[in-house]
Order: sequence, then structure tokens, then C-alpha cells
Amino acid sequence: MKIKTLIGTSLVALSMALGAAGCAGTGGQQAAAKSQAQSAKAAEFDRIYKEAVAARKKAASVGFEWRDIGKFLKKAKAAAKKGDYDKAIKLAKKAKAQGELGYQQYLSQRNAGPHNYGL
Amino acid sequence: MKSKTLILAAAAGLAAGAPLLAQAGPKEDLKAFREYYMKRFPGVPLDEFANGVYAIDAGMRAEWEQMEEFPPYELGLDIGKAEFYKKFKNGKSLADCFPDAEKGIKQNYPYWDPKRKEVITLELAINECRKANGEKPYKWKKGKLAAVSAYIGYLSRGKRINVVVPEDDPDALAWYERGKRFFYAKRGQLNFSCADCHVANPGRRIRANLLSPALGQVTHFPAYRKKWEAKGSGALAGFGTIQRRYTGCNKQVRAKPFKAQSVEYRSLEYFHTYMSNGLPINAPGVRM
Repeated sequence: MKIKTLIGTSLVALSMALGAAGCAGTGGQQAAAKSQAQSAKAAEFDRIYKEAVAARKKAASVGFEWRDIGKFLKKAKAAAKKGDYDKAIKLAKKAKAQGELGYQQYLSQRNAGPHNYGL
Repeated sequence: MKSKTLILAAAAGLAAGAPLLAQAGPKEDLKAFREYYMKRFPGVPLDEFANGVYAIDAGMRAEWEQMEEFPPYELGLDIGKAEFYKKFKNGKSLADCFPDAEKGIKQNYPYWDPKRKEVITLELAINECRKANGEKPYKWKKGKLAAVSAYIGYLSRGKRINVVVPEDDPDALAWYERGKRFFYAKRGQLNFSCADCHVANPGRRIRANLLSPALGQVTHFPAYRKKWEAKGSGALAGFGTIQRRYTGCNKQVRAKPFKAQSVEYRSLEYFHTYMSNGLPINAPGVRM
């Protein structure tokens, strides 16, 4: 009986130890994967942010910057600082698109004049 | 051969015609601009356009006439007057820089300075006078600067705007053209130009506001706006220069505004004021 109990206890301990080791392995992998994903998002944010800044500069150079681009970039940077890259990327994309649209607007309006209004 | 000549002639005509369209001179622009409004608002005499929306809406006009019985800008004008005559540390004053102010000078601003090759607005001249006399310039667009400018405008009431664009000076014309392009170019996220509201749609409402005709807008600036009054405090809260208004309009269409007295806003003011040549100054005007 004593031997049986001993064997039983050993088996339970072994299975618990193995289980714990298995859990630790999965958690570590998950953490590593998460950190990798964050790094990828951070890199994506950096790229889009730079493109957005460039698009804003281009629109500003011809006097067609839109009102809220600066605000979007500021908010994007703050979100990235907090690690919320989804929000940061979304805002940077918005800023980039507005910069590009501002420049397109300049191209379409550079010859604007009274003739557009029947004058 | 004949048809080839014809095509060439037509192409040359088109090439010549296109720039002509874009390069109508200031006088032609003014004539077309005025005729447009006279046709759009038949029965409104030319001078009445100096009263902005009150020239085209009877209800608002009645309200404005009541406000003018006890003008909300009077206290601010007194402050502007005191500032105008206040002695600088060197014993001089703004009055020394503008010796003809009491006879009326606002009608000649903005003007083209051929030596500096730039447009000088009244507000720029006021602050340059202060700097030249060792004083700190006023803050742009509102406050004391707008009050002094409004006082000079008040002294100029009845004088007819007489902005000169020397057509033999390509630099002056370039400033004028720049202002004209600004006025007609759509900008901002809402894709609106000055002309969209004030040429194509005066007399119509944008939300709760009635859009004023561009003809005559500059006559009553610096203006005293109830909106500005509500946002600030004190007797000067309601005052603002025309460039304060440009800033507000640009923000409303979600375009990034330019700095006060930037080349963009000075050229816009040059064109915008020239388009009201011949109309009487009636600054400061009360507006909503």
C-alpha cells in the first residue's frame, strides 16, 4: 500500500512538473510572438509616420496643408508612445492621406480664377 | 495647306486666349466683379454693399440698425483713440507716423510699396511704427492693434476705397495675382474657396449664418463681431482685423491658416480690397 501510494504521488508530481514546464514554454512563445508583432507594428508606424510628415511638408510647401494634420500626427505619436500601435498607425495613415490630398488639391487649384465662377 | 494654316491659327488663338482669360488685368477684374453683384442683387445700390449682409436681408438690417443706436464698439474705439495718441517713451506717438489720419487714410490701404516690393497693410504699418520708435509691437489680429486700426477706420468713414495696383509694375501685379488665386482656389478638407461662399452663394445660409457678398466686405474691417465678443472679455474682445477673419474662414473649411501679415494674407487683402474700390469705408462694422 505504501509503495502504491508512493508511486501514485510520484506520478502526480511528475505530471504536474511536466504540465508546468509545458505551460511555461507556451507562455514564453506567446510573449515572444507578441513582442515580435509589436516590433513589426512599431516599424510599420515609423515608416508611415515618416511618410505622413513628408506628405504634410509637401502640401505645406505649396500652401495647401489641411487644418488637422498636425493634430493627427501628435495624437499618433502619443499613441505609439503608449504602445497602442493600431491607433497610432490609423492616425498616421489619416495624416498621410490628408497631406497627399492637400497637394492634389493644389494641383487642381493652381490656376483657379474668376473664370471658375463665370466672372 | 489651307486647313493646316487654319489649325495652326486656331491653336495660336487658343494659346493666346487661355492666358488672356487667366490674366485679365485688375481693372477688368473689378468691372466684372462689380457687374456680377449688381446683376445678382438687382435694386441694391452699389454703396449699399459696404453694409455686407445688411444690404441684402431686411430682418438682419433692422437688428443691426438697432445695435447701431448704442454701438458696442464705442468703448473699444475710445481705447483705440487713446492708444493712437499715447506718447511712446521717445515722446512720439502713432499719430506722428500717420499725420493725415484725421483726414482719413484707411481707404488707401493696403498699398504697394515699390521700394520694398511688397504690400503694406494698415496693421503692418502700425506695428512697424511702434517698432521704429522702440516700442513692442501689438499682438496681431485683435486687441489693441485692431482697436487702433478701427479708430483710424472710423476717422476715414465715408472715404472711398482707393487701392492702387500699378499695372506697369510686374511685382505689384504678381502680388495682386497671388491674392486673386488665393481668393478663387478651393482649399482645406471641405474643399471651399473664398469665392464658393462669397461669390457663388451670398444671400444663402451656411448653417445659421447668412453669407455676405465679397463686394464691400473689407469696408467695415476691423469689425466688431458678437461672436468674438462672446469668446473674450473686456471692451476690445469683439474687435478683429480682416486677417483675423481670413484665419477663421480658413479654419472653418479645415485648411491650415497662415500667419497674420504673411505674404499669402497680405496678397489676399490686396486683391480683396481692390475689388471694393470706390465703396465707402464704414469701419468698424458690427457683425454677428
